[in-house]
Amino acid sequence: MSHSTVPRTGTEAEEVNENAPAAHGGAPGAPKEPPAAKQGLRVRFRRDRVLLLMTLPAVLLVLLFNYVPILGNVVAFQEYDPYISDNGIVSILHSPWVGLENFQRIFEDSAFWNAVQNTLLLFVLQLVLYFPIPILLALLINSVVRPRVRAISQAVLYLPHFFSWVLVIAVFQQLFGGAGLLSQLLRDHGYDGLSLMTDPDTFKFLVTAQSVWKDAGWGIIVFLAALASVSPDLYEAAAMDGANRWRRMWHVTLPALRPVIALLLVLRVGDALTVGFEQILLQRDAVGPGAAEVLDTFVWWNGVRNQDFGYAAAAGLVKGVISLGLVLMANKVAHLMGEQGVYKK
Amino acid sequence: MTPNAASHSSGPSRRSFLASTAVATAAVAGGMPLLAACGGSDGGSRDGTTSGKDAKKLLPAYVASNVVTPDIPSKNGSAVGFTGKLDLAGLKTSVPKKLGKGNKVTVMSPFWGSPPKDGNAYYTSMNDLIGVDVVWQNQDGNTYDQKLGAVLASSEVPDVVVVPGWNMTGKIPSAIIGKFADLGPYLSGDAVKDYPNLAAIPTDAWQRSIFGGKLRGLPMPSSYVTGIVPLYRQDIFEKEGYEVPRSCDEFMALAKDATNARAKRWACLDMKWTAFNAFGVLSGNEKSLGWNEVDGKLVYRIETEEYLEALEWTRKLFAAGVVHPDAKLGKSNATDPGPKFAAGEFLIYNQDSSQWWSRTAEQATQNPDFKIWGMDIFGHDGGAPTLWAQNPAGIFAFINKKASEAVVRDVLAVANVTAAPYGTKEYMATNYGVEGTHYTVKDGVPTKTDQGNIDVMNAYVMVASPAATIAHPDFPEVAKGQVEWQQRMGAVTRKPAFYGMQITEPARYTNLSNDFEQLEDDVVRGRKKISDVQQAVSDWKSKGGDKLRDWYREILDENGSAAG
Repeated sequence: MSHSTVPRTGTEAEEVNENAPAAHGGAPGAPKEPPAAKQGLRVRFRRDRVLLLMTLPAVLLVLLFNYVPILGNVVAFQEYDPYISDNGIVSILHSPWVGLENFQRIFEDSAFWNAVQNTLLLFVLQLVLYFPIPILLALLINSVVRPRVRAISQAVLYLPHFFSWVLVIAVFQQLFGGAGLLSQLLRDHGYDGLSLMTDPDTFKFLVTAQSVWKDAGWGIIVFLAALASVSPDLYEAAAMDGANRWRRMWHVTLPALRPVIALLLVLRVGDALTVGFEQILLQRDAVGPGAAEVLDTFVWWNGVRNQDFGYAAAAGLVKGVISLGLVLMANKVAHLMGEQGVYKK
Repeated sequence: MTPNAASHSSGPSRRSFLASTAVATAAVAGGMPLLAACGGSDGGSRDGTTSGKDAKKLLPAYVASNVVTPDIPSKNGSAVGFTGKLDLAGLKTSVPKKLGKGNKVTVMSPFWGSPPKDGNAYYTSMNDLIGVDVVWQNQDGNTYDQKLGAVLASSEVPDVVVVPGWNMTGKIPSAIIGKFADLGPYLSGDAVKDYPNLAAIPTDAWQRSIFGGKLRGLPMPSSYVTGIVPLYRQDIFEKEGYEVPRSCDEFMALAKDATNARAKRWACLDMKWTAFNAFGVLSGNEKSLGWNEVDGKLVYRIETEEYLEALEWTRKLFAAGVVHPDAKLGKSNATDPGPKFAAGEFLIYNQDSSQWWSRTAEQATQNPDFKIWGMDIFGHDGGAPTLWAQNPAGIFAFINKKASEAVVRDVLAVANVTAAPYGTKEYMATNYGVEGTHYTVKDGVPTKTDQGNIDVMNAYVMVASPAATIAHPDFPEVAKGQVEWQQRMGAVTRKPAFYGMQITEPARYTNLSNDFEQLEDDVVRGRKKISDVQQAVSDWKSKGGDKLRDWYREILDENGSAAG
């Protein structure tokens, strides 16, 4: 489902973050050089000009596709009507300015705050119930010795990631829906049917369960890579010192995973307000917006469905600002934990 | 509202002509002012309505084309009905010369059900007949509102976009005025005579096609009687000895009796639309139809007691567990309810009356016992219901204003074929497809094949249709049932104050009632309370509803009430 018509600042913030570690990697010898600030700008420029030239295409792409569209956010300060012209820029020029009215409306709109609340609840739920699962799975897979069994179980775990949400939800509906397999089985044995798919009270758990089923397997890839880089010598040395399996995991494996966990955690927090657009939109009417409206569907509903584009853009901007705050906070925590996070000061 | 569309074509009769001109003159006589652009700063021709002399200048001339005399003439606003045997060998040709010039025309249209493959035999044969390369972009009709706004905001608007009246929410009316072509130069006055089948479309349907002071739409004329029929499995009713309910209490009792979840059977789907009719709630089909004058004061449908009562009753149905669990999913359940209805998983549902025939045709071959029938809408207390008229045209096709004249002409060539009246070769091609592929003829009766039921659905009928006609040569008893149902319901149907007018609300009010449909669905499923609706109504009033009332009052004062 396309939501590209509405500028989303969340994604842009994310792109910037993803570029940050790459920039670090681009200057491998950095610590050995004298502190950068002491050299003249020209000297540094001449030294690095080839490197800079090589980054130029990427910079241009980022500018064109990430920064230029950000300018479209001006519609948040307008009563934007995209239909007065075929050209979006002309439409912007001709739409009336309303100042901060859209933002004022947002802060007074209980539906918006309901969406914020749902989004944060889902985020916390996913952080607690979803985030640790790929780590556990990776440890489990890593302990499998036979390559064949390992390859098969990895394939089985990755597969659901490639199913579309429509399919996943249809399967859930067939199994757990009000007239689904489980409900009819219960009815056959004299119990009441279940309404798991349409119960607003348990909806957030349902959504989390769907995410786990679909994507937890896929999430282990990064952790497996990190585990593969742990030198076997460390395990051998630890074993020689008499460490049992649990102690080896605690003192060798987990410390090796720590930087990756911290990095992914920070990235996840930056993405906190993006809790699954398509998945939730598909089920929004099944439980009603009271339980299912999240910020992304709120923006979509007001922008695309109600054509209140200025209002939707304003909501998207607020989301972007909150996301930025969360990233900064999480990064701070990562630094306090002694990890790199997504960038260093 | 999302009724299944597609009225099945027609031969305009003298009676329906008379009926339609009567309405048109009423509108003309009532409206001395030309363009009623009301309500302050928005001004201009973007909002308001067009009536009187201004409308008269835009409207196409009417030239009746009687091909076959209907067996059941129009009464109480019903469509005309054809129940006799169709002379397939003697079909007339209403388009003697191919008008199409072979241009490619893309059409975006709502589709209820599963669209057939591109390039199927039906699309190919229609394109050959018309001489235009029509490429369909079918979108799910149940969630059409969610696609429309985005497509119209893009720079890739198809050549033709079909927009049902109930999807004209938010800024869609502004998009219609901004993005679609003025067809006046091609159709106003005598110009329409180049397209004789379009000239035979009743004037009241054209009157409704004026948007922002210009003739922009190609209408699908319809009966003004509600299209939403409570359809039920008559065969199962007979087998189980169920009586057709005559009041809300009887319905509830029957529903409880018929439901047996363990045997995978529930009484019905979401009956909200029927509840609105049973309680006499003003129509939600179009914003302007929701307003009416009560004791000299304009009232909107959501402000009425009946609205709340209808929601409460529907909520009780859900709470009693007699509604099929799939219906709880609301719009997320975009699957076609047909197979589960055929399997007897539920016995009653409400949909557009066209399904009365299409379900019959679908099941006729594999499931000979299957019998679907429409029950009369009951008054909630067991008395006669009060029904509110829908507009005489509710679905329109619009042409992109960027389309070249050649493309516009080709679209009109398409419309001229799809609007062919009953009894013509073009009607058969549009509604039945190709003989041998989509239908077979036995004893002079055309019967749709499986492929016919897949290919020949929606699509071409959405571009333009003849005056409201019901004719099913394969199932004449269904045609008779449908027309008689319309006539019985038409007898208790009243017209609200803004009936027949095409009204565009000022931009600042267009989003006011956006969320009510969602709220209704929440309430009947027990997720929100009636008090939440009352709160939303009072918010609606203070956020602009009362000002909107004043705006409508001005239109009413200038044009006169159409109520009756």
